[in-house]
Amino acid sequence: MSSYSELVKNFEKIRSYMREFYVYGFKSREEYNSKSARSYDNERRRTESWLGDYMGFSRTPEGKNVFISIDSRLSQHNPFYKALKAKSFTDGDITLHFILFDILYSPDVVFTLPQILEKIDGYLCGFKNPMVFDESTVRKKLKEYTQQGIIVSEKSGKKMLYRRAEDIDLPDITDALNFYSEIAPCGVIGSFLLDKQDNKNSCFYFKHHYITSAIDSNVTALLFSAMREKSVITVSNKGRGADDSTRLRIIPLRIFISVQNGRQHLLAYQPEAKAIKSFRIDYLSDVEILEPTPRFDELRSELDCMQEKMWGVTASGRGRVEERVEHIEFTVTAGDNEDYIFRRLEREKRIGQIEKIDCNTYRFTADLYDANEILPWIRTFICRIIDIHFSNTTIENRFKRDIEKMYSMYGIEEADL
Amino acid sequence: MIFNEIYSAYYNSVAKIINAVLDGSNDLQSMCKIVCENAFGESMLTVLPSLQNEKWQLIRQDMTTPIVRKPTMPITLVQKQWLKAISLDPRFKLFGTEIKGLEDVEPLFTSEDYFVYDRYSDGDPYSDEGYVERFRTILSAVNEKSPLKLQMLNRRGQTVSTYLMPQRLEYSEKDDKFRLISTGCRYAGTVNLARIITCEKCPSENFKPHRCVQPAKETVTLRITDERNTLERVMLHFAHFEKQAERIDEKQYTVKIRYNKTDETEMVIRILGFGPTVEVTEPQKFRNLIIDRLKRQKSCELF
Repeated sequence: MSSYSELVKNFEKIRSYMREFYVYGFKSREEYNSKSARSYDNERRRTESWLGDYMGFSRTPEGKNVFISIDSRLSQHNPFYKALKAKSFTDGDITLHFILFDILYSPDVVFTLPQILEKIDGYLCGFKNPMVFDESTVRKKLKEYTQQGIIVSEKSGKKMLYRRAEDIDLPDITDALNFYSEIAPCGVIGSFLLDKQDNKNSCFYFKHHYITSAIDSNVTALLFSAMREKSVITVSNKGRGADDSTRLRIIPLRIFISVQNGRQHLLAYQPEAKAIKSFRIDYLSDVEILEPTPRFDELRSELDCMQEKMWGVTASGRGRVEERVEHIEFTVTAGDNEDYIFRRLEREKRIGQIEKIDCNTYRFTADLYDANEILPWIRTFICRIIDIHFSNTTIENRFKRDIEKMYSMYGIEEADL
Repeated sequence: MIFNEIYSAYYNSVAKIINAVLDGSNDLQSMCKIVCENAFGESMLTVLPSLQNEKWQLIRQDMTTPIVRKPTMPITLVQKQWLKAISLDPRFKLFGTEIKGLEDVEPLFTSEDYFVYDRYSDGDPYSDEGYVERFRTILSAVNEKSPLKLQMLNRRGQTVSTYLMPQRLEYSEKDDKFRLISTGCRYAGTVNLARIITCEKCPSENFKPHRCVQPAKETVTLRITDERNTLERVMLHFAHFEKQAERIDEKQYTVKIRYNKTDETEMVIRILGFGPTVEVTEPQKFRNLIIDRLKRQKSCELF
């Protein structure tokens, strides 16, 4: 039986637990039945070790529930980044890391592998039981670091020479790092850079700040790499409510980020379905980048065109010829001193047009792929909607039924008016 | 790619411990402090014992180290790619800095690779040179804790002048706007940067130290009926608040959300957006705000 460690080898194992604790937080230990009880205990303990200040517990008849509660408006740095700084390693890894960079202390210092091995022995001889690193282990580590761009290898005749990579002359960009580490995709990389600095104090705070996507950073970074290489990928997708993942072969085209619902989607072409589809990034794992595809630019242009009719993340879903578009229009009324309603419509609409009917009435119209996606926004105008039409009558009926249900839920009768 | 031990809290802690030892500070107390500040709750149980018992052969029994120079590591390729990506963002010039040495580096992503589809369209004017200059002055004043003299437009569009003590900058990703949080005068509180017309630092201005007043908090309780995936949508939508959820039965849940009192109208609108699967149960005052809107809607005689 292996002993507990607060570090993890495979991040996927803990990714789903962290999301459950943060997003839901009402499940008891027994309900995490997809893994063993010991696995639950270990993941809970790890999460507590990383995010102790933000963990809460509640007692219910079903047992003790664990939850993570964070007011992200009060946090200068995303607490979830800690989880991405908890990768496990061997005793040899860490020892070798510091010795190698001490040997190769400047880009001007160049050594062959045998020379490096000899120097390593020199570093270790003062210990009681000095570690012994064989040639293959050190070569493997140097190769890994070369791929990460921190070591440079170059051939000189038959010999391979190693040196430290040139560093960039980074100016004082603490403010920019504090800002972008929170709002840019893969912001955790900025957090890694901040870790190199002594002063991490930030003068930035963030409102409407969704922090969960931090735990998807590894997947997101690989998706960006695939897009840069215009490549096909295979990826595991565990849809909502599904027990098992399916392996997909897709061409990633663009990442859609929401700053209002905390979700991120990958828009990708799925050759099997002959369609551009959206995939929740938090459901994706094990991205493998395959060969470049000549179709990338054409498919991305197709997505560009589709975006003119997308309110959210639903693309056409069909071939261009069979494209089905739904029409929606609604009219709102505003009081004499309520110019802000027009400004709200203007700034919040993502597609479509606003028409000023008279000084108190505005009409919004749009053609879109999925009228369902716009319903939550229309509902935010409840109290001033005077007319509404959907080309999809099923959705129109549902919208009206929902309003009726809300009247009934809050006990609003005709007599109240 | 990103989940790698070279970025880990343990490696960072060990680098700092070696630094301290090279500086002649090799007492256990300082080392414990380093681990507490740079790693996790239980790291103390691993990091120091691993160094002391020579599992990690970096500190000898006599508390010296074979490492000769202070540990450093060059910036990795993915870090360079990320830096290049942020340097292409229109907001980067707010910081008035340039990163040299990235000319041959491909960005990790560009604006073509991602799309924020629900951001409001009236964000701050990042290409306006005047705005950029004022942003830099304000940022520098926040960093230096220097009072500021501002001329700004109030809500009624009138120009007002004031002195205030800047505390911090708040950025909303949804609004794409910066706000200055300040103390020290009647206009202090939250000022939208885009409303500021002129600003200058006034280090000589004598302000009594003010504590930044935390906005009053309120709690709203929601009953969620888990249809159309509402539970997940609500929990993700309100994920950035302090909150707690409880299950009532197979289909129903309650969620308590703590929000700033000043954001009440926004909360009402956000909750309305969920329709009949989310009901405000408490407090009655908040419930009445929803009821009022529904009554007004009913009087619109939509159907």
